[in-house]
Amino acid sequence: MTNDSFDPRPLNELIEQSNDLQSDTMHQAREGFAETVELGHELRSRNELDPDEAAAVANERRTMLRTGLFGAGALAAAGFGAALFSLESTPAFASAPTDVQILQSNASIEVIAINTYKTALTLPYIGGSSANGVIKAFAETTMHQHEEHLSAFNAAAKSLGGSPQNSADPALVPVVKAAVAKITGPEAVVALALELEQAAAETYVKATGVITSKSARTLTASVMGVEAQHASILLAVQALLKGNAPQLIALPPNAAALPAAAGSIGFPDAFFPIANARPLGEGAVQ
Amino acid sequence: MDISEAELAAKVVELDEIHHDVSLPAMQAEAHEWSERVAQERSAVEARSRLNRRTFLLGVGATVGAGALLAACGSTSSSKKSSLSSSAPTLSPATLTDLHVAALAASLENLGVYAYTAGINAAKAGKLGSVPPAIVVFAETARAQHKEHGAAWNAILRSAGKPAVTVTDPVLTPVVNKDFASVTNTVDLAKLALEIENIAGETYLSAIGVLSEPAAIRTAASIEPVEMQHSAILNFVLGTYPVPNAFEPTTLARPTSDYTKL
Repeated sequence: MTNDSFDPRPLNELIEQSNDLQSDTMHQAREGFAETVELGHELRSRNELDPDEAAAVANERRTMLRTGLFGAGALAAAGFGAALFSLESTPAFASAPTDVQILQSNASIEVIAINTYKTALTLPYIGGSSANGVIKAFAETTMHQHEEHLSAFNAAAKSLGGSPQNSADPALVPVVKAAVAKITGPEAVVALALELEQAAAETYVKATGVITSKSARTLTASVMGVEAQHASILLAVQALLKGNAPQLIALPPNAAALPAAAGSIGFPDAFFPIANARPLGEGAVQ
Repeated sequence: MDISEAELAAKVVELDEIHHDVSLPAMQAEAHEWSERVAQERSAVEARSRLNRRTFLLGVGATVGAGALLAACGSTSSSKKSSLSSSAPTLSPATLTDLHVAALAASLENLGVYAYTAGINAAKAGKLGSVPPAIVVFAETARAQHKEHGAAWNAILRSAGKPAVTVTDPVLTPVVNKDFASVTNTVDLAKLALEIENIAGETYLSAIGVLSEPAAIRTAASIEPVEMQHSAILNFVLGTYPVPNAFEPTTLARPTSDYTKL
């Protein structure tokens, strides 16, 4: 047989079916270590996992979390980084959640976001009468938008036969609680909100590339851009607070007074990253 | 007002390093992965085409003698030829859809580059009045990002044997030109830019619902939030609420019929 006569399509279809079956079995059997290794070997054989690349990615994530934008943040200081390493450092060890689990996990992220903004609004410098009006309105509106996201993700999970998730992502609860306990001013609140929004956006970008249901994928994609916008504004607000220019946090701002670098602080990446994405399905209903 | 930019600039540099060290290589890897799959499919299609032609020639040689070759080719070739032409090799409908989306996306990114370039040039020529430094940095950064987006989509098109898209969206360009003719200040420019960014973002969201190739979906998913972030900052600068929708709409999404020269 020559290469000219080989039609790869049937084989590709069989490989895809095999991959689906393997994923279902992994979930049902709650595989142990031997089965996890088997998954890694399978991914390597399909060239979906380059061990050198995986090691490089893991190393890059460690470096980012130690020294990058989020490395010094509340979530990392409270152990977020360690939790992420154990769950995500080696892609071969990551399981493949179902669409329902991903949607439930998305919902759990929305729950923690809602709770965080709710707590923030009880602070006088965020929700009080002397708080910056734009920051207060942003916190209130964003919280409501997350409530809408929660409803939508739960409705989507239900439409696919799953149950709603109204509990916060358990991996993030102690981390956020510890971070909240250390808040002493608006900058810390903004930093925590930014990490949550960025994590949510990155998680949904990653989920969009994995979800198989088109309606669930479109829903997740319609939310990811909004979380990215939240992060964008928080980046700008953070920069202005750090630059001792809270008076520029206004609608509209005094554009002429904005530092030049403020023009690009809100969108640092040409392609949205997923390095800080939560493990898909992490917050699924157990 | 005494505002130190040193710390802010340092953070921007740090973010830029993360972009170039982590997110950009990851994005390039995604585009490369999709390019390879399309190239493989194209090779398979071409291989089947060669097999069809080879089978046809072998069939003709087996049924006729040397002296009657021309006559046999004349009588049999028409039916064989018609079956060949009717089974002209082509990529799968799903791949073609993905490539049409890629072409549309590239044309929209080109439109973004075009619009920001026009704005920057107008600002430099003094045609927009006083232009705040932050606005200039915004325009230059957004333009650079749109260039990268366009390059990613064109890399995929080229790997599929299709030409790179170098024109701007043919349907929107005359509209943008007409609107730009009315731009006399940075507020006008920001409003035009906002419209283009919203169109791009919503088109990507719409595309995510029709794309088939996982790498194509991931490519679109990695770009859409960035266009949305451009929109958020533009809204902020214009004094409108920066995140107006809980869910991104698709009312402004462009159809693939905008660009048909694939």
